[in-house]
Amino acid sequence: MQWTLNYEETWLHRMNPAFKLVFFLVLFLGLLFIHNPNVITYVTFIPLVLVAFYTGHKRKLLLILMIPFLLLFFSSASSMIFFGQGTTTWWKWGLIHITEESFYRGLHIGFRALNFALLGLIFALTTRPVLLFYSLTQQLHVPPRFAYSFMAAVRILPMMVEEFQQLKTALLVRGIKKEKGIKRVTQTIKLYAVPLLSQSIRRAHRIAVAMESKQFHNGERTYYYNTRLSKFDLFFVMYVIFGVGVTMWLGLEFPTYAITDVRK
Amino acid sequence: MNRLKLSDILITIVIALVFGIIYKLWGPVYNIVKPFGLHIGDVVYGMWFIAGTVAMLILRKPGVAILAETAAASGEFLVGSEYGLSVLLYGIVQGLGTELVFMLFGYKRYTAFVAAVSGVAAAAGSLIMDVAYGYILDLALWNLILLISARVLGGLLIAGIFAYFLVEALEKTGVTSLVRPASDEDFKALDK
Repeated sequence: MQWTLNYEETWLHRMNPAFKLVFFLVLFLGLLFIHNPNVITYVTFIPLVLVAFYTGHKRKLLLILMIPFLLLFFSSASSMIFFGQGTTTWWKWGLIHITEESFYRGLHIGFRALNFALLGLIFALTTRPVLLFYSLTQQLHVPPRFAYSFMAAVRILPMMVEEFQQLKTALLVRGIKKEKGIKRVTQTIKLYAVPLLSQSIRRAHRIAVAMESKQFHNGERTYYYNTRLSKFDLFFVMYVIFGVGVTMWLGLEFPTYAITDVRK
Repeated sequence: MNRLKLSDILITIVIALVFGIIYKLWGPVYNIVKPFGLHIGDVVYGMWFIAGTVAMLILRKPGVAILAETAAASGEFLVGSEYGLSVLLYGIVQGLGTELVFMLFGYKRYTAFVAAVSGVAAAAGSLIMDVAYGYILDLALWNLILLISARVLGGLLIAGIFAYFLVEALEKTGVTSLVRPASDEDFKALDK
């Protein structure tokens, strides 16, 4: 999210946001076709290098952002490792049955999740949402109704945060006590969720009416920001192709695990 | 059929973004309950289907559920979800599940029952994605059944029943009358 953080602009920021999104989705689908754990282990270095050196953010921030990734890796891999099917038993204890096959399949899923997480982090850290919506309308011809609704909606969020603070202090002044247990949930919904949601629905409605009364329409329009493809997009594609080539070769020539297809 | 107007889209996306932020905060919750591997924690997964049902119950127009769920997923993605891009595709498929159920009822019925079924359909959508992404069919059978039942139960309870009651509470504020298309009863009331 690029609203407040300080960062240096890198070539990843200069890529076309819509192209970046589409290309990342292609990479996502491509990752689903990698079934060799050796390959995916090496492939992880492709996004890792970009995160480590080219997002333009401080190392400390990056490290903090990557803490949940470890949890994610473990939680994605664990069910499959403990309960997956396989024939070569390593360890059995009660319901837990770890086999060679299930272990590597779990590891594979963990690396897959890690790759998606890293790609997502690169995108989030190097894309300005406003430019993304501009470029979605210009390059992918998303109807402006959707793109501008998105941008207006993003603007409503900080107002909601402010309203939330107001509500909190107002309830404090009135001496509302917190309920316990399940009643706490219904209380929170009644006191916070309902007023916050209904107010933002009203606000969104007013904004839409205002936009239309000022002649917002879905047809031809000019743009404050013009977004186009550039050499940075080409550079990124070449980096990925080169990276995939090298890591595939490494995975096939220098395998680190005994299994080459986790589906068996 | 009613086409989505600018105000419908804007309201849907605002609702969706609110849930998008909840989706992001929900990630660590799920990751903490999940590693025990028995999938009981998958009951909380239902929270990730809720945007579609809530928006559909409020606006009651075709296309709202899929738009809301996709927008919520994009919101989650843009604030840096640890699931990265996968949330976008999961969001689309889950929203499609919710949408299909309301479509089957001809966009005419918005009861707790239909909401619950739509939650289950969204759960089915997420499971389809999991087959491709997490090889869940290779889990031991009893474990797979646990996963499916926990996921479906979560969809039913959180994205179905809970969403229904949330919208019912919102209705009391009168805000839904702003956005809903005129219903048959409204026209009948005019004839009196």
